[in-house]
Amino acid sequence: MFGIIVGTHGIFATELVKSCEMIMGEQKNVKAVTLIPGEGPDDVVKKYEAAIQELDCEDGVLFLNDLFGGSPYNASTRLVINNERYGVVTGVSLPMLIAMAGEQLAYGGADIKELMEKAVAAGKDGIQTFHASAIVDDEEEEL
Amino acid sequence: MKIVLARIDDRLIHGQVATVWSKVTGCQRIIVCDDDVAQDKIRSTLLKQVAPAGIKSHVVDLEKAVRVYENPKYADDKCLLLFTNPTSVLYMVEHGVPITSVNIGGMSFKEGKHQITGAVSVDDKDIEAFKKLNEKGIELEIRKVDTDAKVMLMDVLK
Repeated sequence: MFGIIVGTHGIFATELVKSCEMIMGEQKNVKAVTLIPGEGPDDVVKKYEAAIQELDCEDGVLFLNDLFGGSPYNASTRLVINNERYGVVTGVSLPMLIAMAGEQLAYGGADIKELMEKAVAAGKDGIQTFHASAIVDDEEEEL
Repeated sequence: MKIVLARIDDRLIHGQVATVWSKVTGCQRIIVCDDDVAQDKIRSTLLKQVAPAGIKSHVVDLEKAVRVYENPKYADDKCLLLFTNPTSVLYMVEHGVPITSVNIGGMSFKEGKHQITGAVSVDDKDIEAFKKLNEKGIELEIRKVDTDAKVMLMDVLK
């Protein structure tokens, strides 16, 4: 199994995991790591290491960070650079996290790069728009 | 029509249905079966916009739902049926639609209803319909998502 660590500026990560649980139920192999004001990348690296100890990370760790180039991301890269089974994806969102929690449920040994690609796709697909002008009525004969 | 899931959830298509149930059931269509919703133009239009990728969503009244079930054109289609209440499910069953198990995901609390679990509230009409479904040997299980343990509705109704 791979572990998921959501790392963000502030308590966004904690709340995002809770939001995911509203939809997917309890998540046992997902951890939230927060960077609070006054902390730096070193503190976050320590929190990541502690999270990895608590999770089942036998097949790797997927870090989902909020901001490319931010401290939570910079801290992830310090760990990822030394382990081929670790990977980072930025721009974490609820659709992305739900998709990855779903990958854990159906886990069949996919490697981290494959999971990273799926996370990116889910994040992109989660962005949709709606405007009244878009409504089309394509009623089939019966349904 | 192959019914892959019959679910009562008065939020209809929302997060749990769009992301979890549509995936685990592998449905091709989500069909909302409800007389009031089918008459509500705005609500039904919006429901048709929120089908997950690769799945079509439809809103039909109960009479039409039975007709669609019987239509050979849809014989091979895997469908997830959504209802807002058990009386609608009973209508389908009494009109020959072979529903063997009903998943109860959410029935919101309103004036005149009483709460039997965190997500499920019922009134007398609901209880009556559930009892009739139960007498027909239909499984009535409460689960928000598929990984939750099934709670049998009749056990908490007592």
